[in-house]
Amino acid sequence: MAGIILKARFPRRHVVEAVVRNVFRYLFQGAARNWGRNFSSTAPALSSMTLLLFLSGLIGLTGFALYNLEGIESGQASMLHVYLRDNADSSDVFALRQRLAIDPRVISVNYTSKDQALQHAQSVPGLPQLAAASDSNPFPASLDVQVKSINDVAAIDAIVRISPAVDPVYPTSYDRGAYQRIQSVLLGVAVAGIAFLGLLGFVAVTVTINSIRAAIHSRRDEVAILQLVGAPRWMVRGPFIVEGAITGSLAGAAAGLVTFGLAMAGIAEGSASFSQFAPGVTVTAAAAAALIVFAAGLGLGSGSSLLSVRKHLES
Amino acid sequence: MLSRLLRPDAREAHGRPIVEFNGVTRAYGSRLALDEVDFSLEPGELAFLVGPSGAGKTTLLKLINRELRPTQGEVWIDGIAAHELKASRVADLRRRVGVVFQDYKLLPRLTARENVALALQVGDLRVSDQEANERALDALDAVGLGDRGDSLPHQLSGGQQQRVAVARAVVRKPPLLIADEPTGNLDMETAWGITDLLEDIAAFGITVLVATHNIEIVTRLQRRVLTLVEGRLVRDQPAGQTGRMAWLASS
Repeated sequence: MAGIILKARFPRRHVVEAVVRNVFRYLFQGAARNWGRNFSSTAPALSSMTLLLFLSGLIGLTGFALYNLEGIESGQASMLHVYLRDNADSSDVFALRQRLAIDPRVISVNYTSKDQALQHAQSVPGLPQLAAASDSNPFPASLDVQVKSINDVAAIDAIVRISPAVDPVYPTSYDRGAYQRIQSVLLGVAVAGIAFLGLLGFVAVTVTINSIRAAIHSRRDEVAILQLVGAPRWMVRGPFIVEGAITGSLAGAAAGLVTFGLAMAGIAEGSASFSQFAPGVTVTAAAAAALIVFAAGLGLGSGSSLLSVRKHLES
Repeated sequence: MLSRLLRPDAREAHGRPIVEFNGVTRAYGSRLALDEVDFSLEPGELAFLVGPSGAGKTTLLKLINRELRPTQGEVWIDGIAAHELKASRVADLRRRVGVVFQDYKLLPRLTARENVALALQVGDLRVSDQEANERALDALDAVGLGDRGDSLPHQLSGGQQQRVAVARAVVRKPPLLIADEPTGNLDMETAWGITDLLEDIAAFGITVLVATHNIEIVTRLQRRVLTLVEGRLVRDQPAGQTGRMAWLASS
């Protein structure tokens, strides 16, 4: 009798298929079905989490802009403009410049003439009118000193004030405490933002924990049956965590899209002014913020569910 | 029909008792639900657990299924130390214990076949849909419901729902079946049908422990009877010596 070759399915593949199908069914499919079924109890968690994540995105982008602003301010604050007398002797100016140039705390010293100062003033809002009101050029020549550390600006300021080349009435641009005031304001804004986010986060986590608790309560019979027929712990708890992850990821996606949309609208509407009050907020930064918001939603949803399941679901 | 479901070598496979209670005490606060209970059940044994309400019958069944831990003493189930089992390992024990309740505990959105198949697949993810369906239908056929596999629980009578629950409990061929008042919601004729089923199951090597108030069934079957009163095992009557049920008057 001629041999017949029967093609059988590889049994291990068959087992893997069964495991994957069962895990998908009992973990993800079941969770998605129950999420839809319990939407009324999930809706408060979804909306509070969306609000939290949207505000987080907005505050995050604002914080990023303020961080960049602080960097710019810091750079500007470490730039000391030394205003020269109109009739200053060039040798005095040269001596002062030489002294500053060899000072190890100084990065660079540049000379700005009166004409250059006037030219620069033309581009600053309000100053052209001031220049026009005067018969002569009111802007002084200056030495623009870039100091390495903002903490050394006061010492450099003290050195240059005694030079005969420096204007005795308005010697430098140094404003004691100006940078510290900016830093204090930024710190206050940061603390307030973090506290606000913390409060919102607490509310969102509490609401999510309670919504999962309600879901556990409404399905307590089903949970009890699964436990009694020997379902492993992950199979009993997993769907609730997946439900939380669904809530979190939907909230994250919605909040991320709104955050991205607002940032894009800001960039598109007035790029010049927007880049001034929100420096560093580019399309890339907005997209990164949206992604972070989405990931935070996913983590917040699944984390809150995990807490709730650990607290409210007996093994 | 049951032979297809049950492990043919179940009786020989175990040299040890399936259930063993050694000095088991369970307290709820200051109240003792079980007090120094000792007994064991052999493979294939059918025993009744009787006693008035609040005597500790349900507590004893919950200790077997590791829904509770004993306050003191040892509970061994098919060689597993249930008294010191970690929560993460409880599922392993529960896969060895079929459970039947008075209120059936079927999932209302699943058909009879799906309810039975669920017990197979949640316990072993390697079981394919085809295999689970075939085995579930075999189990339903064995309990006399081969033609009702696609019915939802609400489309079945109480007796039929209890048969589905029995099929679900034995479909994995566990060494032990516990039943808490399985005939409590059924009329006498239907209750006899369920009792016959439990006898058949025990005949194929599965140890069966039934907590019941139904004195007629207990006296007629002449099986081993464990009597609990106020948490104490006051009587352990061997099969064939049912005697007079003194506890009945008190209950």
